[in-house]
Amino acid sequence: MTVWCPSAETLAVHADHLTSQPALGAERAIHYTEYWKRKSNDETPACLRNAGALAHHLEKRSIQIFPGELIVGCHTEHRIGAICHVEKAGSAMLEDLFRFEKRPVNAIRVDPGVKGTLLRSVVPYWLNRSLPMKAFPLRQKLKYAADQLGAAHYVINEAAGVAHFLPDYEQLIEIGTEGLRQKLDERMDDDALDEDAKNYLQASLICVEAVERFSDRYRDEAIRQGRADIVEVLERVPRQPAANLREALQLIWFFQLLIQIESVDQGISLGRVDQYLLPLYLEEKAAADFDADEIRNLFAHFCIKLSEVIPLFSGRVTEMFAGLPSGQALCIGGLDEDGNDASNELTFVLLDVIDGFKTRQPNWHARIGAGSGDHYVRRVLEVVSGGGGSPALYNDDVIQPAMVERGVDPSKVWNYALVGCVEPALPKESFTSSDAAIFNLAIGLEVVLGGGQLIKKGDTSERPWLAEIQSMERLLEILEDQTQERVLKLKASLDAIELSGARFFPTPLSSLTIGGCVENATDSTAGGAWYNASGIQAVGVADLANSLAVIDELVFRQEEYTLQEIANACATDFSEQNLLLARVRKVPKFGNDDAVVDELANRVALMFDRCISQHTNTRAGKWMPGYYSMTCHQGFGKKMAAMPSGRLAGRPLADGLAPVDGTDRLGPTASLNSVAKLDHLRFGNGINLNVKFDSAAVEGEKGTDILVGLVRGYFAQGGMQMQVNVVDPDVLEAAMSDPESHRNLLVRISGYCAYFVDLTPAMQQELIDRTRQRT
Amino acid sequence: MEFTAPIFDIQRFSTHDGPGIRSLVFLKGCALHCPWCQNPESQDVRPLVGFYRDRCQESGACVEVCEDDAVRLDGFRIDHQRCSRCWLCVDACAHDALRLVGETLTPEELMARVMKDLPYYETSGGGVTFTGGEPTVHIEFLERVLLLCAEAKVHTNIETSGTFQWSRSRAALELLDLIYFDLKILDPDGHRRHLGAGFENIIENANKLVSLGLPVEFRMPVVSGYTDTDDNIGAVVGLLRRLDQRFIHLLEYHNMGEAKIDVIAGNQPKLGLGRYPSDRWGSVCGAFEDAGIEVLHDAR
Repeated sequence: MTVWCPSAETLAVHADHLTSQPALGAERAIHYTEYWKRKSNDETPACLRNAGALAHHLEKRSIQIFPGELIVGCHTEHRIGAICHVEKAGSAMLEDLFRFEKRPVNAIRVDPGVKGTLLRSVVPYWLNRSLPMKAFPLRQKLKYAADQLGAAHYVINEAAGVAHFLPDYEQLIEIGTEGLRQKLDERMDDDALDEDAKNYLQASLICVEAVERFSDRYRDEAIRQGRADIVEVLERVPRQPAANLREALQLIWFFQLLIQIESVDQGISLGRVDQYLLPLYLEEKAAADFDADEIRNLFAHFCIKLSEVIPLFSGRVTEMFAGLPSGQALCIGGLDEDGNDASNELTFVLLDVIDGFKTRQPNWHARIGAGSGDHYVRRVLEVVSGGGGSPALYNDDVIQPAMVERGVDPSKVWNYALVGCVEPALPKESFTSSDAAIFNLAIGLEVVLGGGQLIKKGDTSERPWLAEIQSMERLLEILEDQTQERVLKLKASLDAIELSGARFFPTPLSSLTIGGCVENATDSTAGGAWYNASGIQAVGVADLANSLAVIDELVFRQEEYTLQEIANACATDFSEQNLLLARVRKVPKFGNDDAVVDELANRVALMFDRCISQHTNTRAGKWMPGYYSMTCHQGFGKKMAAMPSGRLAGRPLADGLAPVDGTDRLGPTASLNSVAKLDHLRFGNGINLNVKFDSAAVEGEKGTDILVGLVRGYFAQGGMQMQVNVVDPDVLEAAMSDPESHRNLLVRISGYCAYFVDLTPAMQQELIDRTRQRT
Repeated sequence: MEFTAPIFDIQRFSTHDGPGIRSLVFLKGCALHCPWCQNPESQDVRPLVGFYRDRCQESGACVEVCEDDAVRLDGFRIDHQRCSRCWLCVDACAHDALRLVGETLTPEELMARVMKDLPYYETSGGGVTFTGGEPTVHIEFLERVLLLCAEAKVHTNIETSGTFQWSRSRAALELLDLIYFDLKILDPDGHRRHLGAGFENIIENANKLVSLGLPVEFRMPVVSGYTDTDDNIGAVVGLLRRLDQRFIHLLEYHNMGEAKIDVIAGNQPKLGLGRYPSDRWGSVCGAFEDAGIEVLHDAR
C-alpha cells in the first residue's frame, strides 16, 4: 500500500512550523500577574478571579494567523511556544530562565526584555503565592520542595495542575458556546443555589464570553489578512454547532488550546475522534465535490496545531519527562456498544494521516479488541511498521473489565478513550487526574536494605535488621510496610496540593467541558465531575522483581550469600564482587517466561495496587495504580544505589512495565508472555510496554502479518497495551558500543531474526550500514 | 517405551522457517558433515559442553569441580573424550562461559516448552519447526512429539536432508503439515566427498514423498563452489521437473555458523567465503527460472 502524501500547501505550512524556533510564551505569566496584582486587595472568589485572569489574558495577548493555515489559533504569542503557568509550577520552571536558550537539547528562545520583566515583576510576586507554596505551612513547604527537587521516591505532577482529562468535544461541536451558555443560564435559574455555586456558574459564563471574544479577534485578523475561508469559519465558530469537519476541528482546537492555557498543557486528550466526527464526515462525503484528500490534509493541519504546544520544563524536570511531551491523546478504533468492530471510514482516513504525516503530537492510540476486524488491525500494524512508534495499541478486552473494577459504569465502558500517555478513562464525565504522581517502587528495597534510609555509598557497616529477615515472605511484608509508609507521605503532600488547587486555582473553562460540573455547580478541581479518580504510577517493577528473585535464589534457597553481603554489594556498586555479579546475572530475570520471577513481578505489582487502592483523593475519587514511567525510570535510577538484580548505581530502571533492557533473552513472545502474566485487571490506570524491532524485521506484508499475530497473541493472553518501536541505526550503533544494555535487540539478518549483540562486529557494522542506506 | 532426544536450542519467535510465528526446535545429531553447516554443534548426537571464550574469567571453578580431569585452563577448556557429561562444570561457571549444548528432553517436556507460544501460533498461522542436526535421527521421539502437536492442533514443519530410512520414518512424516526437503549435491561421488556420507536414498525419499502427495517443498543452500556448479544446478532442475515441482526455496550462504565451530572445538574447516556474490546469485536464479521453476529467496 502506498503511503499517503500531504498536499504541497500542507507541507509548506509544516515546513514553516518546523523551522520556527520554540520560544518561551511569557505573555500569559505577565497578564496573569497583572490581573492578580490588581485584585490582590479585594475579596474576589477564586473562581471569578481565575476566570477574570483568563479573560484578561485572552483580551490582551498577541494573536497571529500564519500563511496557508486552515485552522487558526496559537497556544502562545509564538508559533511554537512553551507557556509559563506561573501561578502553578511554572514559576519553579523559571529556575532555568538563564539556561533555556543555551541548553543543548530542547533549547527555548527567550525574547529580549522578557527575562527582565519576568525577574522584576513576575517571579517575585509568585514566590509565596503559587499553588505549591500555598499548599503547605512553612516547614512542610521546605520538606515538599526538597522531596520534589530530590525526586528519588516520587514526583507529584499535580503540582503543575491536574489537566489530564477528555473534554466533551462531542457535545461541544453539537451545541457550540451558545449551547454552553444556555446550559449555564438554565442552571442559574435554580433558586436553591448558594453563593459559591452562583459565583462558580458566573465564572463559567465569563469564560464562555472570553472564548467568543478571543475567536472574534481571530476573525477580525482574518478579515484584515483577506482570508475569506477563515472568516467564513469564524462567523459560526465557536458560537454555533459545527456544520462541517473544518468548523468542528477549529472549534475543538480553540478549546484545546484554551484549556491548556487555563489548566496546564499536559494530557488534554481528544477522545474517539473517528467516532464522534463520523456523522460530519459522512455528511461531507455525500456531497458531489467530496475529496477524501482534503479531509486528510485538514487533519494534517490539525496535527500541526497540536504540535505547536510544548511544555516549559526545566532541566531538572526534563530528566523525568524528556522529549517535550504534552500528551494530547487521540484515540481511534475499538469496539462499539455490542462488542463489534467500531472502526469506520474515518478511522482509515486518520490511519493514512498517521502513516504519511509524522508529527510530534498527537499521541495516537489505537484500540483493539478480539472483535476488531483483521482489515483494521492489519492496517494499524502496517502503519506501525512504517516507524515512528504510532499508534500505540490498547486491548479493549482487558481495559474495559479493569475499568469496571474501578467502578466505571459497565454500560458506558465500551466508549472509553485514552488520556495522555496510556491512561484509560470515560469521556464526557470523568476527571481522573490520571497522572497525579509517579512513584519509585524499586527504591523501596534499597530503603529496606538501608534500614529505613537510602544506602550510603561505600557503607558496609553491620546492618543488624537484616539478620531478622529470614524468609522471602518476611522480606515481602517489610517491603510492603515500607512502601505503604512512603505512599502515605506522598498522599499527605498530594492532598495538600489538591486542596490548594481547588481553593486558589479552580479551572472553570476546563470544567465546562466535563459532565457534572455545571450540574453540580462545582469546579472539576473541587470534585464537580460525575466520576473522579487519581492515578499513581509505579516505576521499577521489573528491577524489583529481579532483585527479589536474586535474593530468593542466592540468600534463601541456595544460602550462598547473606542479605548483609548483598547490601554491601549494593553499597559498593558490586566493585570487586565479580563472582557475585556473575551469579546474580545467572538468576532468571523478568521477561523470559520464567514462572518464579514472573510471579514475583506480579506480587510486587499487586503489592503496589494494595498500597494505592485503599486511598481516596480530595474529590472523593479512588486512587488507582498505573505502571508507566515517562522517563522517570532514568531520573529515579540516577538517584539509586546498585540493586541486588545487578543493576548498577545510577543506571536507569526498567521502562514502564517492560523487562530490564537486555535481560529478556528469549525473544518477544517470551517477553510478552511474562508481561501478560501480570494481573492487568488490577491495573486500572494503564500500563506502558515498549517493544523494539529493527525495521527490517517487520517490513513488508509478512512483517505486518507477524506483528498482527504477535499483538493478537499477546492481547489474547491478557496483555493490556504495547507500543512498537521500529529501531533506527543510531540505536544499533549504541548497541555496538554497549552490548549488555541491548541484549534483546532483535534484528533481521538476510533471512531471519537474530540478536544484534550475537553478531560479529563486522556483521553489526553491515547491518548499521544497511539500515542507514534504507533510511 | 519412553523416548528422549537431545535438544540444543528452542528458538522462539522464528519467522522464516515456515508460515507465521514459529518455535524452532534444534535436535542434535546428523549423518552428514556439510562443510557449510550453520550449526556445527548439532552434528554430534551427544550433548556436550560448549565453551564461550570471550566470557571466561579464568576463575578455575570448572577445573575444581571436574572429576574426569577433562577441564583445563590452557587451550580449549573441555576435553570431550574424557568428559563423562556430568555437567558440574556448567553449573559451576558463574560467567556463562561453559554452556550445555544439548538438553535431553522427553516428548512431553519438549511440548511443555513449545506450547508456551501456542497463542502466537494460533494468531499468526505459525507453529513448530523441527530442525537440527537432522531431526529424523530421532524418528521415534519425533513421531511422538508430532502426535502431541496434532492433538494440540499445532502446525508442524521439518527441515530435513532427506537421509531418513523410509520404512521407519513414514508414519512420522505423514503427521507433518509441511516438509522442507534440502537438496544439496546430487552427484553421488561429490555428495560422499563433500558431505561425508553416502547419497543412497535421498532421491528415492523425495520421490516417495511427492508421489504420496505429502506437503513437501524443496530447498537448496547456495554455496560457492559446492552446490552452485552448473552441473549440480542442472541436476537439481532435472529432479524438480521430474517431480513436477513449480518452485524452490534458495538459501543464500552466510558464514555465521563458523564462530560456533570454536565453541565446540569442532574440526569443521572454515570455508572463508564471504557473502554470496550478487551477480552470481542472479545467474543461479536465472537457471531455475529459465526452466520454469520459481525461486523463493529464503536467505539464511
